[in-house]
Amino acid sequence: MKGFALGQYYPADSVIHRLDPRMKVIAAILYIVASFLCKNFFAFVLLVVSALFLTLVSKIPLKILLRSIRALIFIMIFTAVINIFWFTEPDAEPLLAWKFIKIYRGGLFNALFILVRILAMVIGTSIFLTYTTSPIALTDAIEHLLRPLAKIKVPVHEFAMMMTIALRFIPTIVEETDKIMSAQKARGADFTTGSLMSRAKALIPVIIPLFASAFRRAGELATAMECRCYHGGEGRTKLRILRYHVRDFVALFVIFLFVGGIIAINIFGAKYGWVYTM
Amino acid sequence: MSKKKKLMAETELASAEIIHPAEDPKLRLLNVSYIYSKGTPFEMKALDSVSLDIHRGKLTGIIGHTGSGKSTMVQLFNGLTTPTSGKVLLDGEDIWAKPKEIGKIRFRVGLVMQYPEYQLFEETVSADIAFGPKNMGLSGEEIIERVNEAASFVGLPQNLMDQSPFDLSGGQKRRVAIAGIMAMRPEVLVLDEPAAGLDPQGRRAIFSGIKRYNRETGCTVIIVSHSMEDMAEFCDDVVVMAHSKVLMAGSRDEIFSHAEKLEEVGLDIPQITRLALMLEKEGITFPESLYTVGYATEAFAALFDLGEGGGV
Repeated sequence: MKGFALGQYYPADSVIHRLDPRMKVIAAILYIVASFLCKNFFAFVLLVVSALFLTLVSKIPLKILLRSIRALIFIMIFTAVINIFWFTEPDAEPLLAWKFIKIYRGGLFNALFILVRILAMVIGTSIFLTYTTSPIALTDAIEHLLRPLAKIKVPVHEFAMMMTIALRFIPTIVEETDKIMSAQKARGADFTTGSLMSRAKALIPVIIPLFASAFRRAGELATAMECRCYHGGEGRTKLRILRYHVRDFVALFVIFLFVGGIIAINIFGAKYGWVYTM
Repeated sequence: MSKKKKLMAETELASAEIIHPAEDPKLRLLNVSYIYSKGTPFEMKALDSVSLDIHRGKLTGIIGHTGSGKSTMVQLFNGLTTPTSGKVLLDGEDIWAKPKEIGKIRFRVGLVMQYPEYQLFEETVSADIAFGPKNMGLSGEEIIERVNEAASFVGLPQNLMDQSPFDLSGGQKRRVAIAGIMAMRPEVLVLDEPAAGLDPQGRRAIFSGIKRYNRETGCTVIIVSHSMEDMAEFCDDVVVMAHSKVLMAGSRDEIFSHAEKLEEVGLDIPQITRLALMLEKEGITFPESLYTVGYATEAFAALFDLGEGGGV
């Protein structure tokens, strides 16, 4: 369980760390949109450059970043390989033809593009959201951004509170799992050998105490919140009030410039008929 | 590891100065260090080249503040964690000599972790205690015998054995968990804060059960605690941890005769010892260091007898 990388905040002092979390949520969405807009080779070059730029600016070590990529490597390769075989160009000569399998030059490019797109998306979102924004700041931001929905009776505050609590308890439960596994290992439980069935059975001594303690914790937390007169979001004030700074608008401007750049490259590409478009 | 490096490591191990050395130690730590989250910004040294002997058959207490490395140390004893460097020797053999057989070591060194009542999962108390022995592959009769023996050591009444462990009180759950380890009949029983969060009666019951286990089976027992009073009352040997190192280790008399040193590092000394120190400052001396109320009563009685004999 060590090195559990979901939503792992990496403390560092960088411009991106200091950005307003709301701006980072917007930036992450725009970044995903931009990666889907890319239509030709040069647009993808710009996407790669921007991912490298983000990595440098955020001061997240490459090693840490690679960890979040490693989790998705299978999906990335799988999608890329499927794309190689799926691609057909009616009026082009295939690079390789064997029975029903035909591989075109365009298919190779297509696979490469998909790979780059997923990679950029993972890097972009994990830099904007998970690595530079603490989970609490993130839920705060989401609550703010979704606030207009409260007008149509969506319980935004309650959702945000649930998310905060869930995020807050992920590390606790991981730690608890570790502890219980250690305790059962000390009693001779074996989680690593045997058939799939016996390994699944070996988890029972972990899952039962884990659930028991999760329910106990939930009850205790509810009581504690009740004791402190929690009554939902109405009239509740914030400890940390979010404020936009100049740097947030600069960042937004840079992102818009980047999205604009990609659109411009797409238009040029279409006009001059650049090859290897998608 | 290259040959040269290995040789260097071995000479380093040989030169380690062992604290509280024994002729034939049950457990020996040789230059053991442990670093958490090595290579990340959260890196933390929990143990700093510790060399220590745990004497065979004794009841050893390990005391120290939170974060002094106690709990890290006990998890090294049964191979739940691997030392970052250094060796853990059980009966003179490196427990990590055959990493695949570390499971056998865990049956020989039984570890009761902190708040062990949260690991219970079976339908009945007796089934839960039997989990360890069952994993050892013992026969049904042998398991039943061991379960009953362990239950009697921790003082679990027979009528609780068929109840669900989730219906018991906190103190009873704790006893079930301790019995679950005792039932494996480990050569070394390690308990991490076995009495944490219990009332004074519960504490005494658990400690005296553990002491009885130690005396009757002759097994080596290690207790981690930060309560000096308990340690002073029940342990033969005491190890004092501070700042990821062993500050002092020795027999109970040796350690408590340095009560001032314990106070210096901010550890609580037993109240009765503090009283004795204060009296000594006033010129009243005792023949030996006082650390339990029992001893103190005798010492005071002797003092007053003397006074009466002197015809005050």
